[in-house]
Amino acid sequence: MNIRQAARVIRSKNAGPLSVTIDIMFDDRPRFDRAVQSPALAPAAIAALYGIPAGDVVVMPVANALAIKISLPRAVPAGSPGDRDIYGAQQHAPLLEIEL
Amino acid sequence: MSEPLRILSASGQLGYGIPEPAFRAGLARAPSMIGADMGSVDPGPAYLGAGKMATDPSMTKRDLRLILTGARALGVPLLLGTAGTGGSRPQLDATLEMIRAIAREEGLHFRLASIAADIDPEAVIAAQSAGRLTPLGRIAAPTPADIRASRIVGQMGMSAFSSALDQGADVIIAGRACDTAIFATIPIRLGYPPALAMHMAKIIECTSLCCTPGGRDAILGHLTHEEFTLESMNPIRHATPLTVAAHALYEQDNPYTVGEPEGTLHLDGATYHAVDEHRTSSHGARWEPATTLRIKIEAAQHIGERVVLVAGSADPTFIAALPEILPAVEATTRSLYPAEFQLYPRIYGQSGVNLWTPTSPAGEVCLFIECVAASQEIARGALTVFKQYLLHHGFPGRLSTGGNIAFPLTPPELSAGSAYRFSLYHLMTVDTLDGLFPVEIETL
Repeated sequence: MNIRQAARVIRSKNAGPLSVTIDIMFDDRPRFDRAVQSPALAPAAIAALYGIPAGDVVVMPVANALAIKISLPRAVPAGSPGDRDIYGAQQHAPLLEIEL
Repeated sequence: MSEPLRILSASGQLGYGIPEPAFRAGLARAPSMIGADMGSVDPGPAYLGAGKMATDPSMTKRDLRLILTGARALGVPLLLGTAGTGGSRPQLDATLEMIRAIAREEGLHFRLASIAADIDPEAVIAAQSAGRLTPLGRIAAPTPADIRASRIVGQMGMSAFSSALDQGADVIIAGRACDTAIFATIPIRLGYPPALAMHMAKIIECTSLCCTPGGRDAILGHLTHEEFTLESMNPIRHATPLTVAAHALYEQDNPYTVGEPEGTLHLDGATYHAVDEHRTSSHGARWEPATTLRIKIEAAQHIGERVVLVAGSADPTFIAALPEILPAVEATTRSLYPAEFQLYPRIYGQSGVNLWTPTSPAGEVCLFIECVAASQEIARGALTVFKQYLLHHGFPGRLSTGGNIAFPLTPPELSAGSAYRFSLYHLMTVDTLDGLFPVEIETL
């Protein structure tokens, strides 16, 4: 199942100026469970997708919100020269083609 | 059970236009206090560095007028945090000037407290050399010269607001502040459980963002000694157990702990239940008082002046060769123009958005929105509001509720000078040329 069909929300945002946090939210428990178990959302897979070391990726399931949180250190502090996304709001895009 | 304490959160981002019907509906519920947040680090370092507001002055004053007249009509405290976007002295002063002007215009009389949040650079340098300055992520260690060249604020907690209340303040305009302190200080002073007050504060500081559909409308928090209940003042925005639980994830690395100067809020034990289809209650959060006093400090440093170039191409060969073309042109420029400068190109369509990898596999576009008005102020003001609503606009099929667009710069509204059009390109028939082209002589 493509993640766009499975998820209700796939969003990214700064969590402070030094990190970006991505939330993938699901409508029901079966989809959430499927995503939690999917190797496509393992830290190593996320790291490969974003081109960063696996040790930089934190993946955290949040069951009461039917959500998976992924946190990544920013390549550039928000708003420093060379930043491409001040709010970190469009960093979810690489996830959109994932198959769960 | 005693009557719950009602707390009205008017805005999580004051200055972009508080939706008035929901705010008025909140006033009609006779809240015990009104709070609003006015800033954060979200819009980047420029506003703090420049000491300027991100919001349009006329829209900001409109929002301030709404909450100030509302609070004074009810005779309840008004607490505003992170004045002027960054919460530094000039931003606080600009907000206070607006408050004083509104009070004069509206004939309002009240006790106004202002709380500065600026931190002395020497104190930060001393803390750094004593090993008492810890980075909150990856950031280059600042030199003492960097620190002295920066505008620095610290996030105040509840004690600062409490001190202002002790001095009889009716209206508190605070510099950089924890958003929770705005809403939790009064309940905790009144003896409500800190865990419930803090948890409620953490949610209502974003107004109706915790609802479905999320939005900017005012929200009312009802607090008892056992639980708190959230109720959006816009009847179409429903706080459900799922949406409220999910809000704990918003802009937080870790959804289970929230660090504050006075302690840490633990949310792993929090449960949420629906009161009806519109309201949700919660309890079970835990508050752990701090053993070490630490404040979060933020600083912005001026590092240079900036000019941007925006251009397009439709030539596939040029586009394909751009990764080689740009360094070649930069090298030519450097050989001819020896002063120091840095270039940070973003090739929208190829690599303009993604922070880490060179390409954005989902594709990307660049929006170039031109706004023309009678003055720079109006053009900028309109685009400032447009920008914020474009960032958060809901549309069918939307997945990216964190924001719709990536800003390469902050502030994203760039002056492009004056706008002109040709208004005549005509032939004019005349009877005579006499007097049409008079010649004046000036003696210097």
